Amino acid sequence: MSGPSAPLRIVIAEDAAIMRDGLTQTLTRRGHEVVAAVADADALRKAVEEHRPDVAIIDVRMPPTHTDEGLRAALAIHQDQPETGVLVFSQYIETQSATELFALAPGGVGYLLKDRVADVSDFIDAITRVAQGGTVLDPEVVRQLFSASRRKDTLAGLTPREREVLSLIAQGRSNAAIAAALFISPKVVEKHVASIFDKLGLAPSDTDNRRVIAALRYLES
Amino acid sequence: MEPYAGIMLQDVYAWVRRHPRTADGVLAALLLAGSAGQLRISPLSTALAATAVSGVLAVTVIVRRRDPVAAFAAAALIGAAQLVFGLQPDGGGPPVRALEPTVTDLALAVLLYTLAAYRPRRISLAGLAACLAGAAVAVARWAPAHAANSGELLLAASAGLGAAVLTAWVLGDSMAYRRAYYVSLEDRIAVAERARELQERRARAVDESAARLRRIERDLHDGAQVRLAALAMTLGEIKENLEQVADDDRMLAMVGAAHQNAKDTLAELRDLARGIHPPVLDRGLGPALAILAGTSAIPVRLTDSVTERPSPAIEAIAYFCAAELLANVTKHSGANQITIGVREQDSGIVMSVTDDGDGGARLVPGGGLAGLLERVQTVDGKLAVDSPPGGPTSVTIELPRHA
Repeated sequence: MSGPSAPLRIVIAEDAAIMRDGLTQTLTRRGHEVVAAVADADALRKAVEEHRPDVAIIDVRMPPTHTDEGLRAALAIHQDQPETGVLVFSQYIETQSATELFALAPGGVGYLLKDRVADVSDFIDAITRVAQGGTVLDPEVVRQLFSASRRKDTLAGLTPREREVLSLIAQGRSNAAIAAALFISPKVVEKHVASIFDKLGLAPSDTDNRRVIAALRYLES
Repeated sequence: MEPYAGIMLQDVYAWVRRHPRTADGVLAALLLAGSAGQLRISPLSTALAATAVSGVLAVTVIVRRRDPVAAFAAAALIGAAQLVFGLQPDGGGPPVRALEPTVTDLALAVLLYTLAAYRPRRISLAGLAACLAGAAVAVARWAPAHAANSGELLLAASAGLGAAVLTAWVLGDSMAYRRAYYVSLEDRIAVAERARELQERRARAVDESAARLRRIERDLHDGAQVRLAALAMTLGEIKENLEQVADDDRMLAMVGAAHQNAKDTLAELRDLARGIHPPVLDRGLGPALAILAGTSAIPVRLTDSVTERPSPAIEAIAYFCAAELLANVTKHSGANQITIGVREQDSGIVMSVTDDGDGGARLVPGGGLAGLLERVQTVDGKLAVDSPPGGPTSVTIELPRHA
């Protein structure tokens, strides 16, 4: 559950009206301002340019080709307006799309499975993190990255707790969030993080985003 | 000149083929004309009787196609009568003039030809035997009356008659053979045409089914999945609101269960939709395989040199085969490295999936590889497995560009 935070100015791009309206209502009820809700990538680009929102929530598949218009638009927005966070959400999880998104963006990006809207507070929490320049990666993508990672030997050298922490790091969680999620103290989290980065041979990073990128690069390589 | 003559003959043949009755009529008239001399016989009654005999022979030619056996039998009867009564028997009385052989008797050769051309050999051979016997008897009975003539002439007459009869039979027989050959040729052409037609229909069915699957996936994506996600979102909100007030645990538990059910159903529906048509395929086989490779637990090296995209149905078959093969390798082979290669070959694509695992994979009825083979065969594709014990294993799939 996110604490009370400043209202966000949000643009929604989603071609299914029922989801677009549902999201708009839910976000509005939570005190945020949906400045535009559009149905395709072109309208999204215009709305983002016009309203300069804190964050854009973008469906991957939109007209006209229903393939990855949303992803392309998200990358373009991030390029042109890095101050606007982009949260791409999709019916299907594709590690490659996530990788593409995170390769370009040091922060202010998110990639979530559409199902995550079901857990409203978590979803709004994710939006807020992206709006604040943080990074959000769907746990499912992280799980796939873990299972496809070629560094199995090194990963096997981590304790189960450390693997849990690494997974949360890859999802974009801060130390405080990890501490809350695992019911441990922030100090213990710091110890785990240091140990993980040491074992994986990664340079310790000061910011959350840098360590997310480091973790992802590691899992992918 | 020659091509011109050839065309002329061809035209005549074509005309004869188009007008068989008229052609036979003309032939009969010509044969009848050969015995026109009989009209000069006196008395008139004899002349008319002789002409009537020739007329019957001519009629057998006209009806020869309708009933070759009956026509031949009738002509043969007349011929036999002529042999007995029309030729001066040895030391017998004078021949019956109305039954003397004439040019019209050539009708017998025509009828023997017809018999050989339109009836089975056992029947036409009997006709041939009858004709040869008749010819022999004719020469034998004719010879004494012309004793003055040399033996050479006798021999020539026998040989001539025999050769004429044989030639008629051989011509007819070869015609029958040729016709049977044409019939079998036509059958084969019909079979080939049918095969091509079925192939086209199958291609349409395969494309149509691929398009339909894609449509179903899209409908699910735009319809049921979105509605369900919206429903789950609403349930999630209700649940969170109930948690805030938290004075009805029973209600909270029920809403919580409904919320969880909606989320589980979403996950199931997603797997189902992806099984129907992986949306990544819309971007092409190469990108789809790259995504597949990216999620493999065993490292995959992918090379894709296909420039012109195959039809969606073919891409789907190749993709599902690759997915199944990757799963097989992961489960059974103990491999450390997988290589997927896709390239163009002739009018199709070749995809090979190779691993450095234990080998020993085999195509067994009902097995996973047999399932892939069946799938590949629906579009005339091929699947070959090379997997010696100890590895490496290589499965090669050839697919046409279109179904």
